[in-house]
Amino acid sequence: MVRMFESVLGNVIDERFSGKLHDLDHADRVEYLTIKPDEVARRRLRMKTDKGTECAIALSRNQQLTDGAVLYCDRDLAVVVRLSERRWLSLIPSNKATAIELGYFCGNLHWKVRFDSDLIHIAVEGPVQTYLDRLALMIGDGKVRLVSDGK
Amino acid sequence: MNVVNTSIDSIDRRLGKHKSAARVGIGGPVGSGKTALIEALLPRLHARGLEVTVVTNDLVTKEDALRLQRSGLIDPERVMAVEAGACPHTVIREDPSLNIAAADTLAARFPNADLIFIESGGDNLASTFSLDLVDYWLFVIDTGGGDDIPRKKGPGILRCDVLIINKIDVGPVVGVDVEKMSKEALEIRGGRPVMLTDARRGFGIEALIDRLEHDVLFADA
Repeated sequence: MVRMFESVLGNVIDERFSGKLHDLDHADRVEYLTIKPDEVARRRLRMKTDKGTECAIALSRNQQLTDGAVLYCDRDLAVVVRLSERRWLSLIPSNKATAIELGYFCGNLHWKVRFDSDLIHIAVEGPVQTYLDRLALMIGDGKVRLVSDGK
Repeated sequence: MNVVNTSIDSIDRRLGKHKSAARVGIGGPVGSGKTALIEALLPRLHARGLEVTVVTNDLVTKEDALRLQRSGLIDPERVMAVEAGACPHTVIREDPSLNIAAADTLAARFPNADLIFIESGGDNLASTFSLDLVDYWLFVIDTGGGDDIPRKKGPGILRCDVLIINKIDVGPVVGVDVEKMSKEALEIRGGRPVMLTDARRGFGIEALIDRLEHDVLFADA
């Protein structure tokens, strides 16, 4: 059996859901759909909950999945969306020139990045080795230091 | 407490008729057979009772839209052209607003549509679709481009929902081992779907529609 959801009812933080979800959770009747951050923009997807229920989601264009989105909630069952944590590669460029080069390089490859002081964090979408292969030359030359591979 | 699931009836659901049409991107290098794939899909989708509209993207012309409009396979009103005016991948990824507007227009004109195809000839293997624009996307390559294309691991190859290797009939002529190319593509994609087609002769098209019905039209839901 496939459960079909065509709208987001609200979020777990909404007052109207919190009490009910609390009770259902204690009864182990909340099922979670874990979605990767780079997939959350999808309006249509098909996947299984943590308890194995197959779900099909078809949202209208003005709705979007978010962490905590409630797709179903009645006396016996709730289905809630959870976002999995995004993995980030963290790097430090050795100097300003390398920082500019690295920034250009990431932009050219359309990687999502964020900045934190002298660190650049690259969002990992897909196999991490793909990113490390592209960065191998800069890391190998000592221009850039890999601080964390996000594991 | 609201209890909401879905109100669509079983017949409409079988036909994939949900509240809004599924938006499916079709990308890939120029000449790989994207428009030919749509031409092969249209009559077969129609035969399954599915309504389709199409947005095409070209650099500075409406060539692909005109080809479909003249094909006799679809009501010309159901086809809209977007002229990218720049690298086509920019209007399906960085700023897809032109394509979103075109798809919204078609959705408003044809509210019973089940599928909106958004076709774009990315100029390289880096072309990907924004998920703000599409729900699901195919990336089309062809055997004539060489059997090393999957090994180049472009984002289009890696990230699409289904990789289509088209023109499998051409493979033997240009010295491409199609089976090996397909196996390598599957390995590179970590087991995610790879499908073989010969759009001109219709090979693999019904299987592709079966997949679309399962993955985005939820025909069995």
